[in-house]
Amino acid sequence: MKKLRVPMLAGLGLVALFIGGCAGNEAVKKDSAAVPAAVTEKVEPAIPAKNTDANAAQMAPQIQPAQSEASTSTMNVPVEARLETVYFDFDKADLRQDTRDVLAKNADTILKTLAERKIQIEGHCDERGSAEYNLALGERRAKAALKYITTLGVKEGNLSIISYGKEKPAVQGNDESAWAKNRRAEFVVK
Amino acid sequence: MKILIILLLFIMLPGESSAQSGYIEVTAPGSRMLKLAVDAPLLRTASLSADSVKLIPDVLTFDMNMSGTVTAETRPAYVTAKSTSLMESDFAPWLNAGFDLLVRSEITQTGDQVAVEFRLFDVVNRKVTTSKRYLGTASDLRRFSHLFADEILRVITGEKGAFTTRIAYVSTQTGNKEIYIMDWDGYNPLPLTKNHSINMNPDFTPDGRQIIFTSYKRGNPDLYRRSLSNTAEVVVSKRRGLNITGSWAPDGSKIALALSKDGDAEIYTLNKDGAAPVRLTVNSALDLYPSWSPDGTQIAFVSDRLGKPQVFLMKSDGSNVRRLTTTGSYNVNPRWSPKGDKIAYSRMSSNGFNIFSVSPDGSADRQLTTDGNNENPAWSPDGRFICFSSKRSSGAGVYVMRSDGTGQTKVTHAKGTFFQPTWSAH
Repeated sequence: MKKLRVPMLAGLGLVALFIGGCAGNEAVKKDSAAVPAAVTEKVEPAIPAKNTDANAAQMAPQIQPAQSEASTSTMNVPVEARLETVYFDFDKADLRQDTRDVLAKNADTILKTLAERKIQIEGHCDERGSAEYNLALGERRAKAALKYITTLGVKEGNLSIISYGKEKPAVQGNDESAWAKNRRAEFVVK
Repeated sequence: MKILIILLLFIMLPGESSAQSGYIEVTAPGSRMLKLAVDAPLLRTASLSADSVKLIPDVLTFDMNMSGTVTAETRPAYVTAKSTSLMESDFAPWLNAGFDLLVRSEITQTGDQVAVEFRLFDVVNRKVTTSKRYLGTASDLRRFSHLFADEILRVITGEKGAFTTRIAYVSTQTGNKEIYIMDWDGYNPLPLTKNHSINMNPDFTPDGRQIIFTSYKRGNPDLYRRSLSNTAEVVVSKRRGLNITGSWAPDGSKIALALSKDGDAEIYTLNKDGAAPVRLTVNSALDLYPSWSPDGTQIAFVSDRLGKPQVFLMKSDGSNVRRLTTTGSYNVNPRWSPKGDKIAYSRMSSNGFNIFSVSPDGSADRQLTTDGNNENPAWSPDGRFICFSSKRSSGAGVYVMRSDGTGQTKVTHAKGTFFQPTWSAH
């Protein structure tokens, strides 16, 4: 993880220049070819995870791109029960600290207001990489999110996952800011 | 001699020319490329216009130039004879213009029935090398021309051509990813799916009459099979999770694919009806995109078990897994050549995707494309060509190139984005 720092900081600077630091943090962490993907997501408990200190400097508190309200997940659901989309790094399904925070929030919302509802977690990827590999990667992301919220008490029986790979981008665009918004897991209340 | 030639013209035995196929040594080192002239068709008792039959020399010239075995050109006739027969003296202008070979054709029409007779002349030796007669309607002219191009290739190389085969592909021209099929040269495109969903990764059955593909049309990415002659679709696999990258075994008995029903994407084989899954890969990495060796004993596939997606090989029972690609950090889309001697794949680097080929032992790794983004290579059944999807300065589309990377040509004519082309069998 330490290896990531320099490119991350450089990337952060660039993004900050563009968006004035308002919402660009998820766009920061560039892929590092030297780091093999964690094969199976080790689910950490809800307490701050061990890589917090490594990432905290780079990860500012708000993580969502401004327009990230997933339209599908908001239908038939009261405002207070809206579930937020979570984001991932390129070619990774690891849960970043900001991702864990949002997942914990979603788990809380589900337990309080959506306990009996069926919820589908959709895994998505950015446009880079092969369509086929991204289908499998998107599934891995959805699965990582599912596992995490089940450790927080959400009933697995009410949850399902699906991957759309790179077939349904949230935003169009060919730059890191678009890519960062597309590497995501969305929660759809059925 | 003259009499003999004329007699041969009317005999037209299909096998008569095979003994002569060695006379043109196109692959001999240092030999120059043979020049082939394609004459304008001769219209006899036909109401077809000269314009409507111009496609005959166009198709023949395109096919033969793509083959890389000759240099072909469409030429106006030097001879205004009343038949496709040539007198000995008629060869002189063709010879003087530097041609080694000449194709002439003659069209006769009776009602709706159209007959096309083709002859291939050896200009240097002043004789007919092969001739064929095809019967059909005016809508068959393209197919007849492809058939005779196959015949010319057979005479020149001794191998069966693939000019009558087809390519299935995914296109977004309606706004959704639907599957289409077209002739290998891009003509006669037809939509196959019209379900307004996401459809992907078509693969032909070995007999070329059906395709399998993955569709989200019922929500989950399930594997379907459909006939090319009607619209009936049946589910092959709708197991929980992914049912993707289906690939027919060469003998048609099994389908290899990636399923995630047991956790993450793993390679399985199914019976052709989708039953009896047998799991071939067992690890916590993603395994997908299987491609059979032509003898069915091996499977190439993509796995990220070492961190990044790479191409691996295994025996078709899942044993003896070994890594194939060792250069590049992102190698995907393997497809085994019909002759078994090469595996084409695409590599992503900072410049985007490009097509490579490598021997199954990992040697002779070669980059075949350099311009733009090039993905999803698939072999023609004769192994002469590779089709692939490309986005490049000369336009996005399905492209076809020779297996050594030469002759890269866009074959789709419509605008739009094209994905995942796959080539039919003979």
